[in-house]
Amino acid sequence: MNILEIQNIHKAYGPTKALNGVGFAVPKGAIFGLLGPNGSGKTTLLSIILDVLKADQGAFSWFGQNSSTDFRKRIGTLLETPNFYHYLSAEQNLEITRRISGRGTKEDIAKALRKVNLYERRKGKFSSYSLGMKQRLAIAAALLGDPTVLVLDEPTNGLDPVGIAEIRALITELSNNGHTVIMASHLLDEVEKVCTHVAIMKSGNLLQSGAVAEVLSSDDLVEVGAENLNGLARVITQLPGLIRHTVESDKLLLTLPNGSSNLERINRFCFEHGFVLNHLYLKKQRLEARFFELTNN
Amino acid sequence: MTNLLKIEWLKIKAYPAFWWVLGVTALAYPGINYAMFSFYNRILNDPKTVGPAIKTMIGNPFSYNEVWHTVGYFSSWFILFPAIIVIMLITNEYTFRTNRQNVIDGWTRKQFLTAKFLDVCIISVLITILYFLVCLLIRTNEGALGGEGTNKMYFIGYFLLLTFSQLSLAFFIGFLVRKSFIALSLYLFLSMILEPLLTGILERLNLKIGQFFPFEISDRMIPPPAFFGRFSPEKYQQAMDSTFTHCIYTVIFTLLVWLFCFRLNAKRDL
Repeated sequence: MNILEIQNIHKAYGPTKALNGVGFAVPKGAIFGLLGPNGSGKTTLLSIILDVLKADQGAFSWFGQNSSTDFRKRIGTLLETPNFYHYLSAEQNLEITRRISGRGTKEDIAKALRKVNLYERRKGKFSSYSLGMKQRLAIAAALLGDPTVLVLDEPTNGLDPVGIAEIRALITELSNNGHTVIMASHLLDEVEKVCTHVAIMKSGNLLQSGAVAEVLSSDDLVEVGAENLNGLARVITQLPGLIRHTVESDKLLLTLPNGSSNLERINRFCFEHGFVLNHLYLKKQRLEARFFELTNN
Repeated sequence: MTNLLKIEWLKIKAYPAFWWVLGVTALAYPGINYAMFSFYNRILNDPKTVGPAIKTMIGNPFSYNEVWHTVGYFSSWFILFPAIIVIMLITNEYTFRTNRQNVIDGWTRKQFLTAKFLDVCIISVLITILYFLVCLLIRTNEGALGGEGTNKMYFIGYFLLLTFSQLSLAFFIGFLVRKSFIALSLYLFLSMILEPLLTGILERLNLKIGQFFPFEISDRMIPPPAFFGRFSPEKYQQAMDSTFTHCIYTVIFTLLVWLFCFRLNAKRDL
């Protein structure tokens, strides 16, 4: 079952096309990473599915329903920036969130604040908070009442390394408990560490989406090394199935069709051509590499 | 509806600026009326002047019944104070971006605007209660003219409508402009400079279109009171005769203002 389905969403700001026919589905229980460089349309897309912005064209449905006014109450959301009443305390702000969303009890407010380490400062005014504390409060608001779906736009913005690690652990914990998390980020490492599914966007276009393993597994990458690297580079071009090879300092990086990288076969080929390998490694493609490959950066 | 009000109360009750401006309003209304009342007593009760003679002619504007009109007129000069509150309440939502957070958290756009509409309604009622109390405090039985016993309590309704209409305009400006200082400046400029100036010029040119200007349309429900009008009885009577017509105009105009706000809110990006 899909929690969210997006079909052919278009949005323009005057002549600038912010979204150009974006569509994908988010399965239940997934940690779905929405990836893209700044200005790729991630926040615009999230704003549309939360009814903050109106799409020019296209449709979306939450929980399999096309037009439900109550769907947002079931979703914990952090969109773009922490938006709270500056003159109110963390507790008072969360009370407003609770009353509007109908999620949680008064006790849940304390629980959410404890979860993000803000309980001790619960009486402090929002205006007196640091950037990181504001972000923590926004995460607490999203967690309030333990919603089954969370939408987190750049959740680690403004957090220190400890805070970032805590949020990562929190997201994994949420996923383990069966929550669905949709997370927009331009931090590839962050997405790679926690996401099960990913959609990659650039300039308002969806480049690819699916399970992380599927998105990353387009080609196999194999690193090989030998004493005479230049000689090996000349010979390796005869390796059956090789798509391309690149020289990387003291190694060669071979690109082979998906699933065809038999290390034994490569080793034998090199040995038969007079090269004894001192390095042979099937490299897992990193999301970062795939992202740069797709976005041509 | 009750839930919307409870949430609005949570937003307002800890907002210091709201209480400060409300306090100033609570002082300004009795203040201006008492100042006028004192001025009237000092001038017209001074036996050394022609005051007592004029008083016999024009009656006491603070006598029971006439007081609803007089206090309503002077108090309408100070709609600016509650207008500041209304502008702050809506522009704050845009400044803090809480308008979008409220929607993200689960309100519909219509609920957000209905909550603001209720704020304007409640502030209008509070201001009318204040006006009512000032009337009760300041009224006197002394000096009422025998022939003026007609009940003028209908001015309470006019004052409520005038306040609601002009606060709706303040809301409208804040809703469109979104920035508090620009909205306040625009409200001041329109209500105190541009519109009175244009109305004056048009009146001199004998053009009646000025009566349909946004603030003038409701201002004319409470024309200058009798003791001003007596110096030109014809004009006074004319103004008094048209109050009900302007009440109808104001209702229609205010309705259109809110209709526009709801329509725009449903369509525009937050």
